[in-house]
Amino acid sequence: MGNRKMLLFFFSLVALAQVLVPAKMIFDREEVLESGTAFKFRTAPIDPSDPFRGRYITLNYLDNTQEVRDNGYWADRETLFVTFYKDDNGFARIFSISKEEPSGTKDYLKTTLSLMDPDEMDRDVTLLLNYPFQRFYMGEFKAKDAEKAYNRSLQDSSGVTYALVMIKEGEAVLKDVLIGGISIEEIVREEQLNKN
Amino acid sequence: MKILKDIDELRNAGVITEEVAFKISEYYEKKTALPNNRLFIVFGILGAILVGLGIILIIAHNWDELSKITKTTYAFAPLVIGQMLCGYTLIKKQDSVVWRESTTAFLFFAVGAVLSLVSQIYNIQGNLGSFLLLWMLLCLPLIYLMRSSVASLLYLIGITYYACETGYWSEHASETYYYWALLLGALPHYYHLYRKYPRGNFMIFHNWLLPLSIVLSLGTLADTSGELMYISYFSLFGLFQLLGNSRFFYVQNPLRSAYKIVGSLGTMGLLLALSFDWFWMDLRSGDLFYSFSLGSLEFISAVILTGVALVALFYKQLEIDILDTVFGLFIPIFMLGIIWGVVMVLINVLVFVIGIFKIREGVKKDHLGIVNFGLLCITALILCRFFDTDLSFILRGILFVLIGVGFFATNYRMLKKRKING
Repeated sequence: MGNRKMLLFFFSLVALAQVLVPAKMIFDREEVLESGTAFKFRTAPIDPSDPFRGRYITLNYLDNTQEVRDNGYWADRETLFVTFYKDDNGFARIFSISKEEPSGTKDYLKTTLSLMDPDEMDRDVTLLLNYPFQRFYMGEFKAKDAEKAYNRSLQDSSGVTYALVMIKEGEAVLKDVLIGGISIEEIVREEQLNKN
Repeated sequence: MKILKDIDELRNAGVITEEVAFKISEYYEKKTALPNNRLFIVFGILGAILVGLGIILIIAHNWDELSKITKTTYAFAPLVIGQMLCGYTLIKKQDSVVWRESTTAFLFFAVGAVLSLVSQIYNIQGNLGSFLLLWMLLCLPLIYLMRSSVASLLYLIGITYYACETGYWSEHASETYYYWALLLGALPHYYHLYRKYPRGNFMIFHNWLLPLSIVLSLGTLADTSGELMYISYFSLFGLFQLLGNSRFFYVQNPLRSAYKIVGSLGTMGLLLALSFDWFWMDLRSGDLFYSFSLGSLEFISAVILTGVALVALFYKQLEIDILDTVFGLFIPIFMLGIIWGVVMVLINVLVFVIGIFKIREGVKKDHLGIVNFGLLCITALILCRFFDTDLSFILRGILFVLIGVGFFATNYRMLKKRKING
């Protein structure tokens, strides 16, 4: 193979990688969206931005902690697997946390934990789960209004805010954020229409 | 170029001096580079970078009124266009620097754009650090396949950003050592520039960006034995100082590389910072003993950098400057400082001696810059001591007046001497 052909061959490999990596990202997410199980996670949000990916709202979750006995078993920033059950209102609650991948079910999440300071008295520690779905990207001009709608809903006890997340074999894809059962995108769109 | 080889031969045989060799080769390089072509390169690259950045911004708007498929198609469009342009360049325009550099710059940003848009569409969590890492890894081969210096420069900026993001700005500092592996990936290109275009503009940009990137990123290694990082930094600055004073850089305009500037300013800055007692008090508190381990990144980096700097010092061909040796002197001072409180006096003496040496060297070489550097060292030292001594304002005032007069007198005398000699 000539020098130029060789160069072109390697360039094609790199170009292929440049296409395949994002394509794989899409494919993995699509698969979870299609065949994953839907869970609703209750949230409380704020609105920052990312220099490359634009505006998003950050979601903080209400049910992401678990108290355990501190016997040195859990380490900070460790990877672990979580399974959930749905409570009476249909929201996701932690069912089990383990270091091993659960068998017999596809509905588990792979994530990391932050160890909160151990309580001196009874030596209990709180495991804080860093859910890998804390960013919901929104249109540049919508994120601010979304934040306002959110804050209002937090004060209003009738509308619960939650994230709709699809989960399959450790992977999770954040599908939508809803306030009182209505998609936040829709709420913001309506609000912006009313303003005009 | 054949003439460049001949110059090397003549220089090695001692027929012409280093300086003459540099001037001749610079003349020929300038003569062969067409000014129009150079402008073309600059505008081509600037255009490509602006278009690339523009695409990222347009994408960051987040077009959520478009369907997922449309958005995805738009995300891949710049990537595919960039790849086609690069492919065309490889087939038809391989010898054109303008084509190579500008198409690669465009593709570089297109890769970033597709990754960020896909993350946006699917709300992919990944933090900024992992995003930058993936982006840089996908673009590293472009440096070599496209023989592109712009890609190399953008890559250096990207990995430095990555190191700072993961090392300083993240809640949990992690994987900062990846930076060093990524940095190794860019070095062959730097060597290629050194061999082929030692005095080219891209070489100058690399001569600035590379040392600055390393200085910024070295601090990310600091963990529990942070004190050891002072040894690493001293050795790094010493190494830069030695590189800047090497035969290759010595004959060039000092602004053509950051090595000497970063090396000397870094060394003096650190010495001045350590002329205060706080660092030594901290060191004597003994925390270092509890946290110290032979396998710690701080210790390893201190050993490696000091080793490399010592080798560079040992093989130095030109006259040794006092600043070249500071990193070696610092290690015994540091060890002594663990047990002995008065060690900061040594640092103060060292700064003073460097100041005097530099003034002497400047006068000898009739170089106002070096004289003033020496004077500045002493002034800064006195200024620092004003913060932690109880001298009366009158005494401080008199000292400042004396230093000021000293500056005037030295500069005046040297300029006068020049006039008489001229």
